[in-house]
Amino acid sequence: MTVLSLLTLLFVVALSSFTSATSDYHESLYLQPLPQSSLLASFNFRGNESQKSFDERHFRYFPRALGQILQHANTKELHLRFTTGRWDAESWGPRPWNGSKEGGTGVELWAWIDAPNDEAASAKWITLTQSLSGLFCASLNFIDSTRTTRPVASFELMGDHPASSNLHLLHGTLPGEVVCTENLTPFLKLLPCKGKAGVSSLLDGHKLFDASWQSMSVDVSPVCPQPGECYVHVDQTVDIVLDIDRSKRPRGNPIPRPVPSDQLACDTSKPYHSEDTCYPLESTSEKGWSLTEIFGRTLSGACPLTDNASQEPVCLRVPHEREVIVTPGAVETKRPDGFTRCFTLEPSTPFDLTIPEQEVTTHVPLDEPVLSAERTIVGHGQERGGMRIIFDNPSASNSVDFIYFETLPWFLRPYVHTLQASITGRDGLRQQVPASQFIRESFYRPAIDRERGTQLELAMTIPPASTVTLTYDFEKAILRYTEYPPDANRGFNVAPAVIKLDAANGQNHPIYIRTTSLLLPLPTPDFSMPYNVIILTSTVVALAFGSIFNLLVRRFVTAEEASALTAQTLKGRLGGKIVALRDRIKGKTAKKE
Amino acid sequence: MALKSAIRKVRSNPHFLFVHLPHILSFICIVAGVVWLLLLPLNDYSRQTYISENALLPGQVHAYFSGSEQHIFRGYKKELEGVLEGQTAEGQEAWNDAFTPAVSDKIQSILKATGLKVATQNYEYTSSGITHQGQNVYAIIQAPRGDATEAIVLVAAWKTVEDELNLNGVTLALTLARYFKRWSLWSKDIIFLFPPDSKAGTQAWIDAYHDMQPAFVQPLPLKSGALQGGLVIEYPFDHRFESLHILYDGVNGQLPNLDLFNTAISITGGQMGIGTNLQEMWDHDDSYEMRLQTIMRGMVKQGFGYATGPHSSFMPYHIDAITLQTKGEGWQDEMALGRTVESLCRSLNNLLEHLHQSFFFYLLMQTNRFVSIGTYLPSAMLIAGNFTIMAIALWLRTGYYPGSQQASKPTEEQVTTTTTTTEKHDDKQAPPAKADASNNIIERQLALPLTLVVSLHLLGLIPLYIFNNIPHQYYPTATYTSILANFILPLLLSATLSHTLTPHPQQYHLIKSFSLLILGLFLSTLATLNFSLSFMVGLLCAPLSFIHRINPQTTSRPLRYILSTLALALLNVLSPPVVLLAVCWYFGADVETVLTQAAFGWDVWGVWTQVVVWCVWWPAWVAGCALVGFSLFSS
Repeated sequence: MTVLSLLTLLFVVALSSFTSATSDYHESLYLQPLPQSSLLASFNFRGNESQKSFDERHFRYFPRALGQILQHANTKELHLRFTTGRWDAESWGPRPWNGSKEGGTGVELWAWIDAPNDEAASAKWITLTQSLSGLFCASLNFIDSTRTTRPVASFELMGDHPASSNLHLLHGTLPGEVVCTENLTPFLKLLPCKGKAGVSSLLDGHKLFDASWQSMSVDVSPVCPQPGECYVHVDQTVDIVLDIDRSKRPRGNPIPRPVPSDQLACDTSKPYHSEDTCYPLESTSEKGWSLTEIFGRTLSGACPLTDNASQEPVCLRVPHEREVIVTPGAVETKRPDGFTRCFTLEPSTPFDLTIPEQEVTTHVPLDEPVLSAERTIVGHGQERGGMRIIFDNPSASNSVDFIYFETLPWFLRPYVHTLQASITGRDGLRQQVPASQFIRESFYRPAIDRERGTQLELAMTIPPASTVTLTYDFEKAILRYTEYPPDANRGFNVAPAVIKLDAANGQNHPIYIRTTSLLLPLPTPDFSMPYNVIILTSTVVALAFGSIFNLLVRRFVTAEEASALTAQTLKGRLGGKIVALRDRIKGKTAKKE
Repeated sequence: MALKSAIRKVRSNPHFLFVHLPHILSFICIVAGVVWLLLLPLNDYSRQTYISENALLPGQVHAYFSGSEQHIFRGYKKELEGVLEGQTAEGQEAWNDAFTPAVSDKIQSILKATGLKVATQNYEYTSSGITHQGQNVYAIIQAPRGDATEAIVLVAAWKTVEDELNLNGVTLALTLARYFKRWSLWSKDIIFLFPPDSKAGTQAWIDAYHDMQPAFVQPLPLKSGALQGGLVIEYPFDHRFESLHILYDGVNGQLPNLDLFNTAISITGGQMGIGTNLQEMWDHDDSYEMRLQTIMRGMVKQGFGYATGPHSSFMPYHIDAITLQTKGEGWQDEMALGRTVESLCRSLNNLLEHLHQSFFFYLLMQTNRFVSIGTYLPSAMLIAGNFTIMAIALWLRTGYYPGSQQASKPTEEQVTTTTTTTEKHDDKQAPPAKADASNNIIERQLALPLTLVVSLHLLGLIPLYIFNNIPHQYYPTATYTSILANFILPLLLSATLSHTLTPHPQQYHLIKSFSLLILGLFLSTLATLNFSLSFMVGLLCAPLSFIHRINPQTTSRPLRYILSTLALALLNVLSPPVVLLAVCWYFGADVETVLTQAAFGWDVWGVWTQVVVWCVWWPAWVAGCALVGFSLFSS
């Protein structure tokens, strides 16, 4: 990692430690154009409440609704994530906040609950998920025991907790949950300015949920800068990657119709170029955009509750040579790194920021991701399948250490003995090696049908400049017919795997990477009309066959013989024997009756 | 009461019950099976197609692919033509239209400029001594808010099924890739695949997508989620087209979900106003004959089980796919095809679940009429059932009714025959000879019939191996050799057996019984998987039910020789290699080409037809021939 790349993070981290101690509410917006006409907008809102007033249920900057839930559920630290889409690390570089503020697709929740034992913790966890479900309009109440795990090494406490507390970490995911405006509205309501002023006034559901990738997070943790002086810290973020072209389309005409032929950007150097033949020319200049165009509204001034008005809540990361036009009154400060500039906001004065299209020579450097991971289901058929996880370490010199954590639903039954590894170097040669060569440590908790899922945590090391592929086979369970959801033929979502890279280069926080979620097709009965027809005809055929077969193989005997056969007296049994003997001698004459 | 007395009459006449009745029943089954199939095209037995999956909403969206997109289409086409000209030697008239690295690079650069993720895959297959190799280029449009769980595939092979240059098809796919990238409504990833040919490329790609690829096929560097549907575009000429020909047959007779086909018909016909054809029926007037012909063509393709286009390779992985081929000279241009594909992709994009609502087993007789499995299955089942009936009848007959000679020459003949056999066999094996034999279960001598039938089925592996593994130039020789071998083998078998082991008459019946039992079992199972193959093999095997060893005791020697020679001649005409030659002659195909294709199918596509031919049909056929042979050699 280069020094430049760290600036983003360091800047934020520095601000964070600074503000958490001195001010009670802080918000910021960080904008960075990304390759392929994308724009990263990272909103951050932080509030503090002293532990004392929190305990006394006296809330100022801490949202009351959330605070009461946490107190009721004995939750000391909470992390909630709503994510949609996938981060394209290949084009966009490393993730914002190093992945620590994003979750897997859908909803992810983990919390440390103070409870005397596991059962009490589980009970409180259910309380927590049910309450949050109501608060955030999400199906969090579906996080039951089958979706809950207790990770061992993948998550760390963020805050400072008294040594006396008995904390239990519980983790649950809902990979199929669709994140939408009904989750954004309660999210904004937790903010002191409630989306009416400050940077949060830019958050519009239409634009936000048209993003290519989007992640909302809520983190609550106690912070003690000095012993005896503790705060409950709430940190909310919204990170979105918008497609500039798409966001700039007017709301009244959002359809990307073919452009009129005179507006086509063509490569006129081509010999065949003519009126009706056009080889499209991809523009090399940086796209122009403005806040109003992208978000559909202006930033309606600073939130008056941010206590230090001289702060610069809006930051933009473009080369200094780029022209940026801002609303008069806002003060621009250029940072010495050559790429970052920040702006102050006036209270209750709309703020807009315009960047015209411009040919630029320097580009904001993007880092190579430290590790890239891909997880897919392989094989086909209704009975078995395989999981394939590919880790790629792009670094030429450093090996990467990380914790790989995955939870599998109980109906996916992995065979851990089939865990195999192969390594491909940069020369493209692939060789099978024992998996133990990469796995330093593993924690495996097998599933129990209908009670809990499989939990697998692997501490791994990937050697430099190589690609390691892990594979294992699994079996698909057959569900009871009532256990299928209404869209049974879609398949079942498997939660993304979480990869925690150990903090490197003196950073405090580990880097998190999540794979995409998976769709597992299970053997599904045909719940439709033909199925019923087959069932019905099979019954009829079975009945017909049964009665005919019965007629064919049954031996017909007279009533006296039958009573003799069934009689339990000695004489009766003897008589029966005689009849049987006679049958044997005479052959099946009785049948001829 | 009349029925009851009739039954009683039948029961009291064992010769009729055990000898004539099964023949009558078998014959009725075969006739009924064929008649059943002939009834299917009638309105009363077929149904109008309909869209079963409501989520598809075919043709409910406006297709915007038009206007300036055509300029870009022309630009891309000129670009590809430039590459083709560049790789043509000086002074050559026609283009060198091979899929060279230059073409691959051009396609990749266009896709990359559009902002798609591009990857390539090399593959190499060897079959019948011919190496098929190439490089697949593919690109993925990642669904804007998707999470790589589902995907649609759009295939434009560089060479069409008929090995023509698919320049317009490839260009159209490139233009669509650029156009689709702008839309934000995709809920599934869209994969654009450009294989160099229509035979091996798609197979290599789809195998690797599921990580099931053989050693000489590279794994895919870039992947997406579960594939929900596939579309193949073919536009191999420069003029405008008249109608679209839809190919839907998969490998081993598997079919895509009928909903996909119906959606394509509904969009092309209803929304775009383009005519559609299927099974190369260009002038379909919806008459009985035309419908029957369409069904027959579909059944032939299904029965042979080969891949009819790039879409066929998807079917084994439960991915529904079809090929759209442009045909004729009309006034529809590439933009119309583009809009059709756009609308189809929009429909597939609407899917919430994997296509499952509609039928997977059907016979199409017109673009809007079909018969479903419940209606047509009895046809093949009846034909398969005829073998089972005969097999069971023979089994009963060997147990309860020693033979027709009893009627004329009772007891003594039987006793002498059995005693002669007893001398040669172990005493324990001797059947208990009784005067009143019809009332007893006669002990069956199973060893010889079982061994013979089982070993014949195992012997089928030898021609199966030979016909899939020798170099292609030897295939005609191998065919003629196998005809000769087929002629000699049963005679040799019967001569050897009748002189060394002198089988009991009962054992001839048992041989036939087992052979037919296995045949009936296989064919009825196969009928549910590949109806057409089961039906065709069943019809070709039909004579086997009625061919017996002619009893030397009841038939005079000259008549016996004449009859058995006739029967042998008939059977040899119906032997697998002779049927192959006849089919090749009928379709005007070259035997070597057909067999090379078949071996390619076995090696690459995983076609199972050869297994059915050599391990089901052929053993039954040899057993039938051997039975006739026994009547020549037994005294």
